[in-house]
Amino acid sequence: MMPTAIFVAVAILLVLFLLLITKRKEVEEQESDQATAATPSDCRDALQRPELVLRIFSREDREFVLQMRSPRLQQIYQEERRKVALHWVRKTSREVSRIMHTHRLMARLSRNLDVVAEVKLLWQYLELRFICGLLVLLIEALGPHALHDLASYAGELSQLIGRTLPDAAAASRVTSSENPGTL
Amino acid sequence: MSLSPSRLVLISGGRLEFQHEGFVVMLTMTIWWLAILLEAALLIRGIQEKLVRRFPIFYSYILFVFVEEFIRFTVYRWLSSRYSQVYWATQFLSLVIGSAVIFEIYRVGLRSFPGTARMARYLLLIVFGAVFAKTLANPSGGLFWWFAERSLMLERNLRIVQGLAILSLVLLFLWYAIPFGKNLKGILFGYGLFIAMSIVQLTLSDTWGDIRLFWPFVQPVSYLLVLGLWATALWSAEPVPEGKRATQLEDDYEVLVASTRTQLRRAFARLGWTARL
Repeated sequence: MMPTAIFVAVAILLVLFLLLITKRKEVEEQESDQATAATPSDCRDALQRPELVLRIFSREDREFVLQMRSPRLQQIYQEERRKVALHWVRKTSREVSRIMHTHRLMARLSRNLDVVAEVKLLWQYLELRFICGLLVLLIEALGPHALHDLASYAGELSQLIGRTLPDAAAASRVTSSENPGTL
Repeated sequence: MSLSPSRLVLISGGRLEFQHEGFVVMLTMTIWWLAILLEAALLIRGIQEKLVRRFPIFYSYILFVFVEEFIRFTVYRWLSSRYSQVYWATQFLSLVIGSAVIFEIYRVGLRSFPGTARMARYLLLIVFGAVFAKTLANPSGGLFWWFAERSLMLERNLRIVQGLAILSLVLLFLWYAIPFGKNLKGILFGYGLFIAMSIVQLTLSDTWGDIRLFWPFVQPVSYLLVLGLWATALWSAEPVPEGKRATQLEDDYEVLVASTRTQLRRAFARLGWTARL
């Protein structure tokens, strides 16, 4: 039954990708003209300025709003900052796609294309897209400071474990001496 | 239709036996003749539009199928006891020529894109290597049960290899945004669709009991659909879009990779800041 499902899946995948090819617009294909017109040295860093990231995800603003002790203000701040953070992540994701798209359009013409380098770049690209997707989910669910909060929580938790570990080790030694048969 | 044999054999081969003739046989003949007509139209238009020169293997395949239909029809009508042998002999020949069509899609589609062509060679090598390794590792239950199993199984396995090869090419074409033009896109879509349908039919023919009654009709009808697609796409010749030569690019590939890598690393760093701030 398993091979049957795999074979049918191959056929379905093939049809789906063929449909994608027919749906793809020639406009995208012709973008190569623009891409090839630019030399690699022209490929500037298209990502946004780093200051922007520092500002969006900065804790200072949150702490300032918290000091105001206004639940309404906090709510507005959370909603607005979430939107801005989501916009930034999505824009970054789009920029990453654009960087890779430009690369592909130029690399396809190269006679000395390095397959390993291409695979590595593809892997990096997939990782980035995955991280962006994960960030969107986290920001949607937990807010713009979700990652920092999670990191802080993990840090606190590891410290707590570190503090409790000697006690636990001592306790386990006591338990094992009381019950020599148990591990 | 007094001379009609009792066995209903469609284009897909002698896989089904019917007790009754009449409408079913008439339908078979209609499909058969329509297919022959469409193949003839394709060949005539191909010669008129000089597409035969651009896609010689594809038109050889169509010519072969066209001749094959006549041979099969003749044998089916006047020498039905030999039909099964003739069917499988011609079917495997058409499978071999069909594989060459995939090579032609690769050759014509990637002529102006040496980078993608290089990538395609590696990818196809991996696909065929994996299939071969699987066969060697598990000869009795591998993808090719060359001698132990029936022809039907062998045809299905070869179709799967073809399907994987086309799938790899399609993925590369999509990833590197290779422009096709109407003609090549039609050939690729039609042949890919035909292979996908063949895989489904040949895989499920043994599994689904009652559905076997309908499959022999589905395949010829879908084959007609594919012929219709080809006739539409290849009715007139259209120029193949070519990638612009970037003379500087050959030396600059390493610079390009380094530049892309740097930009992706910067993106990584910035995404990392969101957790560290």
